[in-house]
This record gives sequence, C-alpha cells and structure tokens, in this order.
Amino acid sequence: MSPLSSADTDAEATEAVETPEVDEAREAVVALFREELGDAVLDHHIRPGDDLWIRVERAAWRQAGFVLRDRARCKAFGFLSAIDWLPSPYGLGEDSPTDAPPEPDTEIVTGYAGGDTRFQVFARATSHSAKLGVTLKTDIPDDDLTLDTWLSVYAGVDWHERELREMFGITAIGHGHLAPLYLPGEFEGHPLRKDFPLLARHVKAWPGIVDVEPMPAEAGGADEEASE
Amino acid sequence: MTAISDRQMLAYANAQAADGRVNLEFETQDGMTLNLGPQHPATHGTLRVVVKLDGEQVVAAEPVMGYMHRGYEKLTEVRNYPQVTTLVNRIDWLGSFANEVPFILAAEKLMEIEAPPRAQWIRTVLFEMSRIANISLFAGDMSLHIGALTAAFYAFRDREFVLNQIEAVTGGRFHPNFDRIGGLKDDLPKGWIADTKAAMARIRDYCDEMDQLVTGNEIFEARTRGVGVIPADIALQYGLTGANLRASGVDWDLRRDQPVGLAWDQADWQVWTHPDGDSFARFWVRLQEIRESTKIVDQLLDGLPSGPVMAKVPRIIKVPEGEAWVATENPLGEMGYYVVSKGGLGPFRTKIRTPSFNNISVVPWVCRGVYVPDVITILASLYFILGDIDR
Amino acid sequence: MGLVESGKLPKPLTSLLNTSRKYSIWIFQWGLACCAIEMGAALGAPRYDVMRLGVIPLPASPRQADLVCFSGTVTDKMVPAIRRLYDQIPDPKYVISMGSCANCGGPYWDSYSVTKGVDQVVPVDVYVPGCPPRPEALLEGIVLLQEMIGKEDMAERWKGEPLVVR
Repeated sequence: MSPLSSADTDAEATEAVETPEVDEAREAVVALFREELGDAVLDHHIRPGDDLWIRVERAAWRQAGFVLRDRARCKAFGFLSAIDWLPSPYGLGEDSPTDAPPEPDTEIVTGYAGGDTRFQVFARATSHSAKLGVTLKTDIPDDDLTLDTWLSVYAGVDWHERELREMFGITAIGHGHLAPLYLPGEFEGHPLRKDFPLLARHVKAWPGIVDVEPMPAEAGGADEEASE
Repeated sequence: MTAISDRQMLAYANAQAADGRVNLEFETQDGMTLNLGPQHPATHGTLRVVVKLDGEQVVAAEPVMGYMHRGYEKLTEVRNYPQVTTLVNRIDWLGSFANEVPFILAAEKLMEIEAPPRAQWIRTVLFEMSRIANISLFAGDMSLHIGALTAAFYAFRDREFVLNQIEAVTGGRFHPNFDRIGGLKDDLPKGWIADTKAAMARIRDYCDEMDQLVTGNEIFEARTRGVGVIPADIALQYGLTGANLRASGVDWDLRRDQPVGLAWDQADWQVWTHPDGDSFARFWVRLQEIRESTKIVDQLLDGLPSGPVMAKVPRIIKVPEGEAWVATENPLGEMGYYVVSKGGLGPFRTKIRTPSFNNISVVPWVCRGVYVPDVITILASLYFILGDIDR
Repeated sequence: MGLVESGKLPKPLTSLLNTSRKYSIWIFQWGLACCAIEMGAALGAPRYDVMRLGVIPLPASPRQADLVCFSGTVTDKMVPAIRRLYDQIPDPKYVISMGSCANCGGPYWDSYSVTKGVDQVVPVDVYVPGCPPRPEALLEGIVLLQEMIGKEDMAERWKGEPLVVR
C-alpha cells in the first residue's frame, strides 16, 4: 500500500474557513415540518449550504413522509435505511492478535439531530425544484423494532423496507411482503447489526499484522501503525 | 453413454420440479411461471426474474436478487478509509473510478479538506471517462440483447481505447483505486492528454457507428419504441435516477444541479432528456450522454490547471466525527454514500445508495402486461450492474 | 468406449485425441461479477481474441460445453445454481477459476455471504489470479489448461465408472 504522496507526517489538514451563514431555504423546510407536525419534530441539524437533518417521533413517521413528499415537495425518493449506534464489540479487527483485546465501548452516542435509542431509521428524499435534499431520522426503541411503512408515501420504498427487515430486524408495519431480499432463506441473524460478528475474522487473524516486513532501506522495525 | 430408463427420467423431472429454486411448473389454469436466471446471458450478471405468464403475456414479474450480495456495508465497518476506497471500486464494476469519488468526497467533507484544483479537474476527467467506458458497453450490450450481435463487438473494441487511457494513468483497466482523500495518487503521464483526445475522437466515431447500425434500425425501433414506458411521476416515486429519469422527461442531472466540487461547471455541456420514457428513449439518452462526455473531457483537458495533485493530509487518515452525504451522477444514476464517522480509522457506518437498486425496483411495475421478449428489452434498457443492485 | 476406459489405447492415438480435444474446447462462461467483463473482453473482443487458441465461447447450453470458467464472486445463495449447472456439463469437463474472488473469496474474504472460493463447490483445474486478471492472464490460464489436457491420460479420467447424467 503506497503511502499518500506528498504527505508530511505531522502536517495539518487545510481548513476551509467559513463564516456561519443562515441557510434560508433549509430553515424554511424545518419551519414547514414544525408547522405540520408540531411537537413530533424532536430535533434538527443544518449544515449551511449543504444538508439538512430532521428527527421526528416514530409515531409521526408516516405523516412526516407525507409532509416531506407533498409540502416540502421532495418527490424524488432516495433511500431508507437504519443506523445501529452500538459501537462494535469486535473492533476493526486489525488489532494485534498477541495483545490483549481493547475494552469494548458500550456507550451509545448518536449523531446529528440527536437520538435516544440504539437503532435509528433514516431516509432521504430530494426536491428537484428547490435543489435540496432532506434526511429524516427517527428513533426505534429496542423492545419494539417496528415502524410504519412508507409504502403509501413512496412506492419505491418497498425494497428498502425489505432490506431494513433483513439487515436490522426492523419491521415495517403495513408492508405486507417482507420477504428476504439478499440472503438465502436459511440465513440466521441480522447482518448489519453491530453485534453480528464476521466469523472469518475471528477464525483467522488479519494477515496484514503478521506479515509486515521492514523495507530493505529501513534498518529498524516495521511501521508501528498498522498500515500495510 | 449408458441409457437412462424412463423411470429414472421421471424421477429426475420430479426432483427438479420439487426443488423450489428451479421452476418447472407446467401450464395450468393459473398460467405458467418462467424463471429467467440467475445464469442467463441477458441478465447482466446474476439477476433472477421470476415471471408469471398468461400465454405470452406477463402477469407479474419479480426480480430475485442477492446472488451477488457481498455485504459491502458491513465490510466497510471493519476496514479503514484507504481500504474502503479499494473495496468500493467494485460496486459498479464497469465505471469503477466513479464509485470511489462520492466516498472520497464525503470523507473530505468531514475532514474539511479540499483537493487542489488540478486534482478536481483530473478527477472529473477520469469520472467522465469511466462513464464513457460504462455506457459504451451499454450501447453494445442492449443491442446484443435485442439481437444485434455486431454492435457488441464494436463496443468491446472501442472501449479498449478508453480503458487503455485509464490504465496509462492509474495502472488498472478496471478498479483503478486511484482516488485518495485529499487528491489523487499520481499525476498524468507525459503524452496522455494527446492520446486521450484521440481516444475521445474514436469514441465519437463509435457513437456515430451506433447511430448508423442500431438507432435507426427498424427492428430495433419496433422492439423498443413504446416498450416499458415509465411516466415521470412513477420514476420519481421509485427513485429512478440517471438516464432512466432523463428519458422520462425529468430534467435533473446532479452534475449540474447539486455540484460537489468537481469541475463540471468549467465545461460547456448540456443535459439530454427525452419525453417518451420508453426503452428507445433510455437508449437514445445514453448515446447522447457519451457524446457529451467526450466533449467534457476535451474541454477539461484543454484547460487543465497546473499544480499539485494532492493536498496535505496526515499519513494515517482519521476522519472527525460527523455524518456526510455525497451523491454524484454516476454512469448508472445517482450514487451516494452516507458516511457516519466516529473519529476512528474507518467509517462507523456507510450507507451506500446505489442507483441500480432503485432502477430495478420498478421492474414489477413496468413489466405488467408486456410480452416475454419485452422483459429482456426493458431489463436491458434500464441498465443495471448486479454489483450495484446487491452491493 | 471400452478401449479408452481399459487403457488399451496406443500412445500415438492418445496424443492425437488429446491434441484434438485441447484445440476444440467449448467454453461455458459462467460470468458472475467484474471478472465476467474481462472474460467477455478475452472471449468476445477482437483484441484478446481467444478463438485463435481453438476455444469457442457461447455454447448453446451447459450440456454442450467442455470448459467452464467461473469468474467473479461466488455467494452462498448462488452455490446451488453453480453445482447444478456444473453437474449438467458432461465429462470430460474442466474448470478454470478466474479472479481472486473465485479462487479464495478475494477482497470479500470476511463477508458473511461470500463463499471463500469456488473450489469449495466444484473441483478446479486452473486458478487464474488477479482482481480482475487481465484478459491475457485468462488466455495464459487457458494455454496452461491446454498443456494439461495434452499430457492427460484418458484412462485415468474414465476409470470405468458409469456416466451419470444429472
């Protein structure tokens, strides 16, 4: 793996200096959501000039979809999926097999627009007229992994909700045909959950650690950082 | 060379029919079920389409996928950023450079790094060349599925010139793995610009050849005009993107409408749309797009700024916490990466939004009431890559 | 063919049969993923033309093929189809595994849905490494296979077991 060209070891990344601006179009979209859904809009986050995240209550998920499609005029459906915020108990798998494994981190820290639960479903749609896109998020409690279907909002969400069920175990109520999409019928488990292990990495250690040899010019040992 | 008894033959047929994976249901009152794929010359890979027929007409069609599901989103969680770049090339395996770009841009957005102008221009040039490599094969491939075999050979031949150029720069015909966070791996070799312009001229000749051979051919038109019409509102509902959307009359191109920092605004080019929304429209729009791409490449190569191709980035990439979504107009449609980073060596979660996943989700809707050969035409015109659907 | 099975064929006849077999291979291209495009370039493109080696692509069905070339990632869902199509090819059949995914799982070695190599399902004669291998690499693999066929002992291949059509 060649080193990044022209990179100094302790150079800083070039910062883009930006004065925080008010993104009026996106603020207007947030105001629209608050007007339609009221308290169901829990939080929002705007990166000015770039993107918009809105978190809504799970009970208002389908209504939020209608607001997104009709009031915010985001007619172009993007995708629907989920994030599992539990840090992976298995790590990157590049730790040395001889050292003690690091302490697993179990704290759930969520991202933009906050969140209280381990699973969050997020979806995105774009408005061609306003040339902006909106990412909607909602929390899914651990004891009730269900969600209203968006099938009446966007017809194309069909397969996305099937994938959601298969990869995370979150069921879209009202969908009606949540058959597995990718995996053979006998597959057990929900692969994209963080506690689903990739067994090949457990059975065999990542060979990159084992085979690092010093370059002929370097008399010393191999790179300490595990980049090959 | 032993003979098989009738009893053995009957047992074999019964065993096949009992196996749910291969359908041997004979014609009954409810119609016949036909299984196209997963190994089939016309399915661009391992897509299986189960169609229920009433005579020759399709009553219901359902794609069964997952035969190329490699678990990308899970794999990105256990790799670091440069490794993910290597892996991600292989999603849309024909336009490989174009897959790396949105991921790299998302990571750069979180790190608040901007690649130098020369790198952005060269990225755009390579992006357009991977688009040409991808869609020129589409033109030959769709003709192959309609039955015009000759066009496929022309596609493979003329594509080689573009692949040569990509190889001269990146070292790989496919899967270049050339993009880096902060810029590119290397600069252009000497003489590359002149050679690439010659290759672009060659591709324009190829487009003209396609026009002569295929576009005006009455058999081609009879098989594609009016077949698989997708109206614009259905296309938007299903999340169709790329040429499929533009062939339904929607004027939306991410290169122009949601710029991400690459150099498309530095060239003078136009977006092609077609009002019909049928298979012919999709073929025609893509053919025009190849021509536009060659124009973009020529213009950008003329005005290429000088300078470094790599910004100063730390040796070990650690992307700060945050979430970023970047989508670009890939050859197949809108490809986007939603990168969730927690400050580690690799992404915490990557949602890969691939265009073909949505493009193929419209097949059950569009294939109702068409004939069996039209299913092949529609699949060919929607143009998907299996790695893009299944990830 | 009782002569072949019982090993009574004279050497010159064996080598004549082997030569004619190795230069008339009908290849069934089992294209799965990216390597399928390179295989297509090798088989169908005029530049890396494989027909000059005596290998013709595109048999009408697996039952008419001699050689199957698995190119691309093999997933667990695909394995039954692979096994069934492989069984449909009549003997003597040869298998080329093209690309690192088909050889050993490749870049997806740790995935939950990828079979680590097609040799877990079918016996492989030639492995062509690369990701993807250049078309010339595939041609070299085919030439290697042709050398193997040329040296083959046909009696070994047909040891008197009845031919089973599956």
